[in-house]
Amino acid sequence: MSAWGTAAGGFVATLVLTTVLRAASEFKLTRADLPFLLGTALTANRARAKAIGYLLHFVSGEVFAFVYYAVFLAIGHAGWWLGALFGLVHGLFAGTALVNILLPLVHPRMGSPLTSAPKVALLEPPGFLMLNYGPSTPLVTVVAHIGYGAIVGGFASLGPHG
Amino acid sequence: MTAFRSDGHVPLRDYAVIGDGRSAALIAADGSVDWLGLPDLDSPSVFAAVLDPARGGRFVLEPEEPFTAARRYLPGTNVLETTFTTGRGSVRVTDSLTLEGDGTLGPMRELQRRLDGVAGTVPLRWSVQPRFGYGARRARITRRAGVPVVVAGGDALAVCTWDAGEPVCADRAISGRLELARGRRALVAMPFAHQEPLVLPTRSECDTRMEHTVAAWRGWTREHAYEGMWRDAVLRSALALKLLIFAPSGAIAAAVTSSLPEQVGGERNWDYRFSWVRDSVFTLDALLRLGCPAEADAYFWWLMHATQLTHPRLRVLYRLDGGGHAPERTLPLEGYQGSRPVRTGNAAGAQVQLDTYGELLQTGWLYAGAAGRLDGDLARRLAELADFVCAAWRRPDSGIWEVRSEPLHFTHSKMMCWVALDRAIDLSERGLIQDRGSARWRLARTQVRDFVETRCFSSRRRCYTRSAGSSELDAAVLLGLLHGYAPPGDPRMRATVDAVGRELRHGPFVDRYSGEDGLGGTEGAFLACSFWLAECLALTGRLDEAVALMDDLVGLANDVGLYGEEIDPDTGAFLGNLPQGLSHLALINAACAIGSAAGEAVG
Repeated sequence: MSAWGTAAGGFVATLVLTTVLRAASEFKLTRADLPFLLGTALTANRARAKAIGYLLHFVSGEVFAFVYYAVFLAIGHAGWWLGALFGLVHGLFAGTALVNILLPLVHPRMGSPLTSAPKVALLEPPGFLMLNYGPSTPLVTVVAHIGYGAIVGGFASLGPHG
Repeated sequence: MTAFRSDGHVPLRDYAVIGDGRSAALIAADGSVDWLGLPDLDSPSVFAAVLDPARGGRFVLEPEEPFTAARRYLPGTNVLETTFTTGRGSVRVTDSLTLEGDGTLGPMRELQRRLDGVAGTVPLRWSVQPRFGYGARRARITRRAGVPVVVAGGDALAVCTWDAGEPVCADRAISGRLELARGRRALVAMPFAHQEPLVLPTRSECDTRMEHTVAAWRGWTREHAYEGMWRDAVLRSALALKLLIFAPSGAIAAAVTSSLPEQVGGERNWDYRFSWVRDSVFTLDALLRLGCPAEADAYFWWLMHATQLTHPRLRVLYRLDGGGHAPERTLPLEGYQGSRPVRTGNAAGAQVQLDTYGELLQTGWLYAGAAGRLDGDLARRLAELADFVCAAWRRPDSGIWEVRSEPLHFTHSKMMCWVALDRAIDLSERGLIQDRGSARWRLARTQVRDFVETRCFSSRRRCYTRSAGSSELDAAVLLGLLHGYAPPGDPRMRATVDAVGRELRHGPFVDRYSGEDGLGGTEGAFLACSFWLAECLALTGRLDEAVALMDDLVGLANDVGLYGEEIDPDTGAFLGNLPQGLSHLALINAACAIGSAAGEAVG
């Protein structure tokens, strides 16, 4: 296992994840746009939010890759399939807790189940499995995260222990 | 008010509404909460006695002896105050769905009903009869820490009382009785939880939250002061509109309720707890006129986000969570005074309504004018909508009124296609959207106008008709003037305003249209059309007539300033869902427009 491999894997995997989500959006499978959601936490300017969001998304991608790496080290094994399994769990966690529950509570512009008049939310909450962003969103998100995990796992397993 | 229920129903005019930006409740003049969906405005109901007194569930709170009731909203708020007077005294009930507090742990949702003894001593009874899932889901009543709790699946509500008599748990209700003397106070709070633990508040927390709620509403009202003609009506309409804004997403529901009938005993009973693209331009216009840029921003963002999956096609309506799927179902409820079917969902969502493209582009145009710019992604999507209109405008559609008869070439729809293209061209000329085909848009705009002027104008009747080749009239054509298809001085449009006033108007009431719509029965006069006519009269220089009509219309509100969708011209009874956003939006816009016209006239 290799830390450099993990770093490289995190970058490539985030690239793929972002591309899959963007493509799914263009094909009208989902309204989810994770970089946009992250970016609007810092600015209400849509164009700037997207730029900041992509940066934050890549940082997050690296952070999660090293969380995977820590678990790989703990269990002494890494690989494509194990990474894909982690990606599945990661995707489900993202849709059920991370983006559905935690993000609305800390995101200053996103509505949560507790948002009430006279407050105004700029972004609708994603809902369970992000279903508010389209019925295909859970499938797209989980598949993209499985891909992310597989890439991180594969890259992390390359080379010597780091 | 003295006459209340007959066969379990009160007149729709006797309902007031309270809300917290997430859900809303209807409260009858006799103190019964007859409608409440939880946790959200469009969730299945916990109380639905307005649709079925036997199975719907309600929250009764009333004197135990004959009484009269007088109501008002606490000034500048959506907190309702009802004063019951009996032969032995009077009590005041203050009802609110409370807002988020000061950060202390509070319930997810909370209905508070506070009682104050005003004079003498009044015996009262209360009874909470929740019926989850439109009355279909079984609930279990238990006690936790001595507090009665009703549980149904992932939902739970508690009935917390202070000085309101010992709660008695029966099979399907929690009830109590008390005698309230002058100067004494009592409180019944109903905290609710959905997929999380119930929070049982203390009395002081309830007091603090109620004070915060009143202060928050007053703060919002202060920020949106309006000093023109019909000030009170406009501010009440603004507060009613704020209740329809679903705070977690910024969407605006058309009404709080489902299936309140357009004709008592008839089949025209629709679910209005969705956001219609049709209403978008009225909504943004009203929010901007009232000085609510934050709400306008949120609404436009939501609208563009919600329409993304079907882009460039538009659904007629979207759910408050942004989804476009709202299948129509029938519920086994009796309906208001036997008006069946009771429906959830709305099949109109799948119709083709070409006017929506005009309304969305007009909304984008208004938004761009207020913001001074458009994000690149939004600009691209507005341009693609204009492209779509070029390809689609020749199709027949179901029109703004969602007729369930065969699609037609509705005049209003074509006019709004013209508006869509005209706004896209204007935005392009100002560099706010890409010039990706303005020559094509110009050509289509000319073709649409030719179609309207040759096929949708009757030389014999000397007015625009309801549809191409028809001799019927449609009040929606007035929107051609209000949205800029024709200027106020246009003789054809002026003649159409005259024709609508002559043939569809009865006193202050205006019918939507003449002719068939594919449904049985009749309907009342459509209030928004009356306000549109008043606005058109002012725009075409007949200011006195416009002011007189507005005075009449403002007088048609119920005792707390609310409007439903329609009114029976013969009896004055409210019909349709309520409070109706479109009626209040039309009032706000008409009052502002007439005020402007009056100012110009004076100046």
